[in-house]
Amino acid sequence: MLPVEPSPTVPAPVGTAGTTVLVGSAWWVRVFGPVGRKLLRTLTDCRRITAFALITLATVFTKAGVARRVIRPLIQLQILRAGVRVLPIICFLGAALGVVIVGQTTQLLLQVGQTKLLGPLLVNLVVRELAPLSAALVVLARVGTATVTELGTARALGEVEALEALGVDPIHYLVVPRVIGITTAVVCLTVYVILFSLGVGYLFSFLRGLQMPPGEFLGIVAGAMEWVDFPLLAMKTMAFGFLASLIICYHGLCHPLRLEEVGEATTRTVAQTVVACLLVDALFVPIYVFL
Amino acid sequence: MHGVTVSHPRSPRVALVKDVEWDVQPGECWVVTGGQGSGKTALLETAAGLHPALSGEVRVFGEPMEVAARARRIRRRVGLVFDGHGRVFPRMTVYENVALPVTYDHDLSLADAAELVDPILEALELDRIADVPAGRLGRAWARRVAIARAVALRPEILLMDNPVTGLDATNLRWWRGFATRWLEGNPLTGGKAGTLVLASDEVRPLLSIGHRFAVVNDGTWRVLGDRAAFESSDEPLLKELLAGIE
Repeated sequence: MLPVEPSPTVPAPVGTAGTTVLVGSAWWVRVFGPVGRKLLRTLTDCRRITAFALITLATVFTKAGVARRVIRPLIQLQILRAGVRVLPIICFLGAALGVVIVGQTTQLLLQVGQTKLLGPLLVNLVVRELAPLSAALVVLARVGTATVTELGTARALGEVEALEALGVDPIHYLVVPRVIGITTAVVCLTVYVILFSLGVGYLFSFLRGLQMPPGEFLGIVAGAMEWVDFPLLAMKTMAFGFLASLIICYHGLCHPLRLEEVGEATTRTVAQTVVACLLVDALFVPIYVFL
Repeated sequence: MHGVTVSHPRSPRVALVKDVEWDVQPGECWVVTGGQGSGKTALLETAAGLHPALSGEVRVFGEPMEVAARARRIRRRVGLVFDGHGRVFPRMTVYENVALPVTYDHDLSLADAAELVDPILEALELDRIADVPAGRLGRAWARRVAIARAVALRPEILLMDNPVTGLDATNLRWWRGFATRWLEGNPLTGGKAGTLVLASDEVRPLLSIGHRFAVVNDGTWRVLGDRAAFESSDEPLLKELLAGIE
């Protein structure tokens, strides 16, 4: 059964327009009260998302061999939705990053005669930071909001209970394919962003007079990468995809959504995913610094 | 159910029906009646293992329902048809709806499940609309899909919530025929007599089918006995339910 809990609300008198009114309270309660409520709500969400993540992980491992012929097509569908169909916009984003970041950085370094910094700069900027983050954010924007609405509607219509009644584990059927599909999509799309941005960046620089064959350019970038960059990149993108898909599924499933709540749920999903991805990103900074 | 307090599905700490003492024997047809919002649906969902009881003991086929893994195994032997459109999955076709429990339980592809699903579709006269998305169906046909989905795993007990609400004469006749066949035994029940539990606030169409009657009123559970006991009861609510809309 899904970990359903009552909405995290802090008792407070509510005004006629739905605004919280703290009549007769001290000034510091009026000032810090809303902040405290928001903080409490965020902490409650963190606790529940952690519980949801543990349940999902347990389901992934304990039900790895259960109903594979049902779950596998669902995973493929999610990869199609979050990966293949997002490819055009990812290519566009990669091209834009190529022109804006790779092309301009290359030109700038050429002008000041510091081409030896080209490799480290591009690896740090594009490979380690911008590509994973931008791939996760594009997937979140293209798939996240739609999925929250889809799952929220299913929850509101009682489809989750219907699955339970049929002996189908809702976490296994609804969440696991999305988590695996979105995580796989973010990992793969990151590779496409890197390839496109470097390719388009080189082309842009070449057209502006860069005297360097493509093999040498790619050699400089590849030479600036450590072997550990590959597992770290995989771990980072997997963490982004896993967190994004979890938060999306959590907000879609854990509260039966009414029509008027869909907007707020999607906004919270986007905000929490961005914050979570940036926090994970920050965790990787010390690792890269010590490389 | 012994000494069971049924909780509200959305507020698990709120008691809806108290002190439920209920033994369902194989082959019986129970009709549980009561006003709207009295807790009949919550009672059925608790019996099906979807919600834990607030207190007391729920045993299905002699086994307690508390342990989740065991509950899932027992749940396969209990079919539940929900109220209204039966909570069919609107984006799936009729075939996909009925095939879902079969494919999930037996780890089959949709095509491989045809051998098990087609006879069910034929038995419930759904084979002609097998490729239609369930979301496009009207209430009566959606409910039929929900019945087909609930019996797909060949359960021994079938729980139905408000099974006759909103049915016209033709569909009501079909439904009575289905219920009778279920109780007598047919290929869907493996030839054995099935057990039926019907929760409804429209009790008159069920009088001829029910073997045993119970009422949920003001949070209390009362077993009334057979049809004669039910009809002779002087409880105002039952008289109101029997009279229906004039």
